[in-house]
Amino acid sequence: MSYIELDKNKCKSCYLCIDTCPKKLITKSSEIGSNGNYVVQFKDEKKECLGCAMCAMICPDIAITSVYKDE
Amino acid sequence: MQVYSTPKSIKKDSKFTFCPGCDHGLAIKLTAEVIDELNLREKTLAVASSGCSVFLYNFLDVDCIESPHGRAAAVATGAKRAFRAQNKDRFVFTYQGDGDFASIGLGESLHSALRGENISIICINNTNYGMTGGQMGPTSTIGQITTTSPLGRNKNYHGFPIKAAEHIALCEGTAFSARCTLYDIKNIINTKKQIKRAFDCQLKGLGFSFVEILSSCPTNWKLSPKDAHKKIENELSKIYPIGIFKDISND
Repeated sequence: MSYIELDKNKCKSCYLCIDTCPKKLITKSSEIGSNGNYVVQFKDEKKECLGCAMCAMICPDIAITSVYKDE
Repeated sequence: MQVYSTPKSIKKDSKFTFCPGCDHGLAIKLTAEVIDELNLREKTLAVASSGCSVFLYNFLDVDCIESPHGRAAAVATGAKRAFRAQNKDRFVFTYQGDGDFASIGLGESLHSALRGENISIICINNTNYGMTGGQMGPTSTIGQITTTSPLGRNKNYHGFPIKAAEHIALCEGTAFSARCTLYDIKNIINTKKQIKRAFDCQLKGLGFSFVEILSSCPTNWKLSPKDAHKKIENELSKIYPIGIFKDISND
């Protein structure tokens, strides 16, 4: 199963990852981050994550710290 | 299997001080990845400059010097020559903004290219002075509204923007000069490739290597991070074409 690890303390709510994810698994959460905006969350109930790491590549703040891909 | 992890050259628990959605973070991350891949961490000296890039030493886990405004190329020249005089093999690169590289430090920058100093320069071009509040910079485009050009940059009054990568490519001491951008995944991968090529030129001792990175400045452009990337894709990459303008490493 592929999945990502998110550091919510580093997320600045630019939401670039939301537009980049091809499966739209990253969404706005209702949790408020350090800069006063809603941070992102990763929800993958249907196990759709491809492990493409595009979200981690475009994150300017390295909030997506690691990506694991299923073999 | 882990396919992505935070670069080892980024300091642990460091948090970037940039605005949300700023491409500076991406550029520093790519630089750290290249330093990791080329295994340069123990022999690198980074030269930071004034501007948004000023806190580089807080993010990169390598030795850093803070240079006076615009003088990063001169500081890097001195450091590289001093290392060479002591027969030490060190890798020296600078990380600058466009106001630092192409306006205040244009003399230092251009002359280190003309001398063919064996250093690498990464220049972030976000078409304004970002840290001080979005004043008109040397790279502001014609018609761009900034805090010091509220009616838009006028070519008759303010003149034309500088295209740093093309100018540096004309210098005979230059080994590598390229412009790249960071608005989508394809371009991020390409940018990393160009940074690696530039660093390779220095490691081979070919001369001055330069990468200009066309970046977004969502705060001062007053756009969302997504719209700022769209502006680069649709407007700025037409004015500042993406490409390699000089590369002698393959000759």
